[in-house]
Amino acid sequence: MPTWKIEEPETLEFDRVTRLRVRTIRGRLSVVGIDERPRVEVSEVRGGPLTVRHDEDGALEVGYDDWARPGFLSWVASRRRWRRQAVVSIAVPRDCPVDLQVISSSVVASGLRARVGVRVVSGDITLAGLAGPVDAETVSGSVEAHAIGAGLRMRTVSGDITLAEGFGGTVQAETVSGAIACDLSTTVTGDVRLGTVSGDITIRVPDPSDLQVRLQTTSGQVSTAFPDLRRSSQPGRQLAEGLLGAGTARLQAKATSGDVALLRRGREDRAGVSP
Amino acid sequence: MRQPVFGHGRLRLYLLKLLDQGPRHGYEVISLLEDRFMGLYAPSPGTVYPRLQRLEAEGLVTHSQEGGRKVYRITEAGREELRRRQDELADLEAEIGSSVRNLATEIRDEVRGTVRDLKQELKQAAREIRREQRHENRHRERSRSWERQDAGAWVEGASQAAVEIDRRIQVFLGRTRQLVGRAYATDAQLREVVAILDEAFERIRATLRREA
Repeated sequence: MPTWKIEEPETLEFDRVTRLRVRTIRGRLSVVGIDERPRVEVSEVRGGPLTVRHDEDGALEVGYDDWARPGFLSWVASRRRWRRQAVVSIAVPRDCPVDLQVISSSVVASGLRARVGVRVVSGDITLAGLAGPVDAETVSGSVEAHAIGAGLRMRTVSGDITLAEGFGGTVQAETVSGAIACDLSTTVTGDVRLGTVSGDITIRVPDPSDLQVRLQTTSGQVSTAFPDLRRSSQPGRQLAEGLLGAGTARLQAKATSGDVALLRRGREDRAGVSP
Repeated sequence: MRQPVFGHGRLRLYLLKLLDQGPRHGYEVISLLEDRFMGLYAPSPGTVYPRLQRLEAEGLVTHSQEGGRKVYRITEAGREELRRRQDELADLEAEIGSSVRNLATEIRDEVRGTVRDLKQELKQAAREIRREQRHENRHRERSRSWERQDAGAWVEGASQAAVEIDRRIQVFLGRTRQLVGRAYATDAQLREVVAILDEAFERIRATLRREA
């Protein structure tokens, strides 16, 4: 299997990549889908050589040779390994599934049509123009997503989660102390489930929409721009629920101490398009 | 009020460059921008139009209506701005597309800008409805307490009407502010809106006098 040890900035090109797996420690990682030749650009590398492997089936792997699964955290915590830093930018075919795991690094993934998985311990995740399914998780960073097709799942502990121009497929977002903002620009066809403990949840959907809605908070406030939803309030729970249109998809948002707001995306929000 | 963030000024420069090549309508601008990002990222109309409007407010571009569509043109001041920032523009041209890293960085910056604008817009809108609904709740509680009192119907009735009018005004205020926040009003529109408001006030005054 062809293997490269990268110790200084270098670009590698490949004929065929069918699968991508990246495991790095610190630095920056970007993966984009393109129609040209796949390539790996390493623009910074410190603290030890980065290994790139490319097998006959087209599976591409970028990482460190001694990356071991058991006792992973103590492995990373060793000072020698923690010094490892790399800025890696990879272009793969648009239909290549991508699996990324990094410890402390910002991650960008864009322009892909296949499955994308991103796991980060501390660092921000940016997702743009992905057809899905997408699974993104960061402990202490934020997730910012733009124009994602279907099957989007995002989780953080303390970072904010934002989805702009959601296409209306299934969306799941969970955070403990971050805020969730979710703007769905087309008719919502998949279920949307959002949950926070202390962060606020703000959702904007087109009007009219076909949604079965349930918004709930324990000690925050629920508000909605759709007068058709029933609002009820009792100690320990504020609730707004009901049916919008045909109610074909479900929208659920639940916060413990955060506020929940459902906004309407009227025609004026798209006014710029027509004139 | 929506306050678009124009911190990501590189795209702005690029918009000027696109218009320097010839007049274009908004949709064309968007698809050219998409090409610039190699199809990886398509800026939404919601992020592009405010920027064009902003450039127009600064006098760097103008627009005209042609066949029902807005066509944007660069002005002499816009060309001057391009000339002044020629070096930056050269960097901009050289960088993007030459490396995956630059492409990704530019996409990240764009998404960040869009997300920042969106968060601000949604926060503002959520605050408006929260305020409206808090007011409604208070009103509901107040009218409930009135229903319990059966004496002094005339006085109560009068103030209940006043409370109802006040509530309507609050709702009107909230809704109007939301509209205004989204729109980019021209001077002519501003004058028209002010006239409508003045007229409404006069008519309300006349109505209440007549009742008395």
